[in-house]
Amino acid sequence: MLVALGPADEAELIERCRAHERAAHDEFYHRFRRQVAGNLFRVLGDRTDLDDLVQEVFVIAFRGLIRFRGDARLSTWLYRICVNVALGRIRTRKRRPAAVGVADLDSTAIDPSLSERPEQPDRSLERRQEQEQVYRALETLAPKKRIVLYLHEIEGLDLKEIAYLVDSNPVTVRTRLFYARREFYRALAGDPATGGKDDA
Amino acid sequence: MRHVAPHRWADAFAGKLDDAERAEIEAHAATCRACARARDRIKLASGSFPALRAIQPPEIAWDSVRARVHWSVSSERRVRSRPRQHWTWLAVAIGAAAAAGAIATGGFGASTSPPATPVTETTPTTPTVVAKLPVLAGLVSRSSGDVSIDGLRVDPFERVLGPNDSLSTGNGRIDVQFGDASAFSLGPGSTLALVRFDASAIELALTAGSVDIEVSARAPDQRFVVIAGDRTIVVRGTQFRVVHDDVKGTEVACKHGRVDVSDSTGKVEVNGGHELVVRGHDPVTATRVAALSADEIAALTPPITMPVWNSDLAHNSAPLEVATSGNRNVRVDGIELGLAPLRVRVMAGRHTVEAADGAGRFRAAGWIDVSAKPARLDVPTEVAPTGDIAARKRQLLAGIDQMRLASCTRRIAKQGLSSGTYVQFAISVDRAGAVGFLNVIGSDLPSSVQDCVKNVLQDVRFTTGPSATWRDRLDL
Repeated sequence: MLVALGPADEAELIERCRAHERAAHDEFYHRFRRQVAGNLFRVLGDRTDLDDLVQEVFVIAFRGLIRFRGDARLSTWLYRICVNVALGRIRTRKRRPAAVGVADLDSTAIDPSLSERPEQPDRSLERRQEQEQVYRALETLAPKKRIVLYLHEIEGLDLKEIAYLVDSNPVTVRTRLFYARREFYRALAGDPATGGKDDA
Repeated sequence: MRHVAPHRWADAFAGKLDDAERAEIEAHAATCRACARARDRIKLASGSFPALRAIQPPEIAWDSVRARVHWSVSSERRVRSRPRQHWTWLAVAIGAAAAAGAIATGGFGASTSPPATPVTETTPTTPTVVAKLPVLAGLVSRSSGDVSIDGLRVDPFERVLGPNDSLSTGNGRIDVQFGDASAFSLGPGSTLALVRFDASAIELALTAGSVDIEVSARAPDQRFVVIAGDRTIVVRGTQFRVVHDDVKGTEVACKHGRVDVSDSTGKVEVNGGHELVVRGHDPVTATRVAALSADEIAALTPPITMPVWNSDLAHNSAPLEVATSGNRNVRVDGIELGLAPLRVRVMAGRHTVEAADGAGRFRAAGWIDVSAKPARLDVPTEVAPTGDIAARKRQLLAGIDQMRLASCTRRIAKQGLSSGTYVQFAISVDRAGAVGFLNVIGSDLPSSVQDCVKNVLQDVRFTTGPSATWRDRLDL
């Protein structure tokens, strides 16, 4: 298990990376690679081009470290880059739709041959279907709405945190989230008729 | 009451509605099938959010991605830090004079060129590369098949190429890098001579065959020409290909940048995305430049170059030989290199190798730690997993000596480096339970730890049962 970096260690690592120290770049990559891949994988819901996206995030990070002011944790700053890279990916995919790779979520998250207690097939199928529904509903949203909704509803982040990640302000995020939630849950409910009328 | 807006169900499950509101919408759902169905769907989906948050990413080619990141970042830094060409070449000229003086006296003095100039310098530490490189030196970056230098079949990686050297290829090819982002790749059945190879001019004479060239931008007074028969191709910063045959003629295809093709009748410009095909001994001025198709442009592949080009290159790099059963396409650190067997110059460190399977898909074939000595990786034969492997996998997992396995990783665990480490392997077990082969094809562990883990796996005893061949992964 990698030991979490304290603020001082983090600052030292950043300084070494800024000095283009190869070992520091390797350490940075080793520490954050799974977090970055996980963020991208969960936001996008499939593993298509995940290698390329992880590479893009780290290249942006190494380029941008010189401008990193330290007003957020390094992991949060990296998450912000992941969100932007994922946003770009979603936009590209909207123009050139690809199959929703939710099956990947199930097939790659855990190697069943090596897990201690394999999941029951029925439950596994149900879980897969539930996740598939969620990502299908997310696919119906505009990219910006999709990102804020994912960060709020699934990751459980608050408006201020989301505003930092999407480089916006909390009021805008709140407005975007308001409409995104309606569209998302309407798509999840699978019945547009009910969504059009609000009792509230 | 009207239908319940779906997002209100989510609010209810998140505890954001008070009891009265919740009771009201539940009462409505009790009489409304549509809302009850919506409620059930949203409840299920909302319940899956925590599981979605906890999903782990799939394994990707971590080492390959790291190499590509490093490559991108170091290439950008190299471009940013490159001084203006005029001063670089002036420094190169000074360095050349110093090197020439050193050669004349039978030894090499300290380099006088500034840090950004191409390769010069220092004391030898490796037998594979001549340690003292002249100022404008050609280092072989990739080689495959039959290659001869000055008519001799020598190890091309042991040579530093300079003026008056000549290269010939049989069924192979050879890539030579001679500066920061400048290289050429001599195709099969080709002969090329380095007529001039110094700071003021580079002249390559292509007698037969093809050469792909990529050169960085240069100042107007710096000359780079390719002589193909009685035709001369003058190069600006560009990537292009020259194919020459004394009988059939000369083809010049330019991917980007610009080249000027001339003979005694005049000069023709060939810009990026165009080609000039001069038949036999036709004058170039009588030939029209034609546009290349997208496929033709894509086929103009650049030579292989090292991500860095500096005075430490000789010490930090070494040839890596990759051999496969049959001629399979291989990648090293994500860069496609062509059909194996081949050799490529790599920096010291760990490198991942992928080989194409029967369907042309690249699959992890192994990794290798390279120091400043030649290294070789034999890619194991592609194994097709057999169908009856479940029982064998269970036996393998049950038979692993966990105590020994823990002792393998104890040291790196103490250093906090064992998180996410793994060993990926291919294994074959016959009906009698004997292990046919066990190949480690991927790991992010140090070599010693990986060997230790492999020994543990090798000592697993299988009972009689179905024969099986499969790939597996052991997360540590």
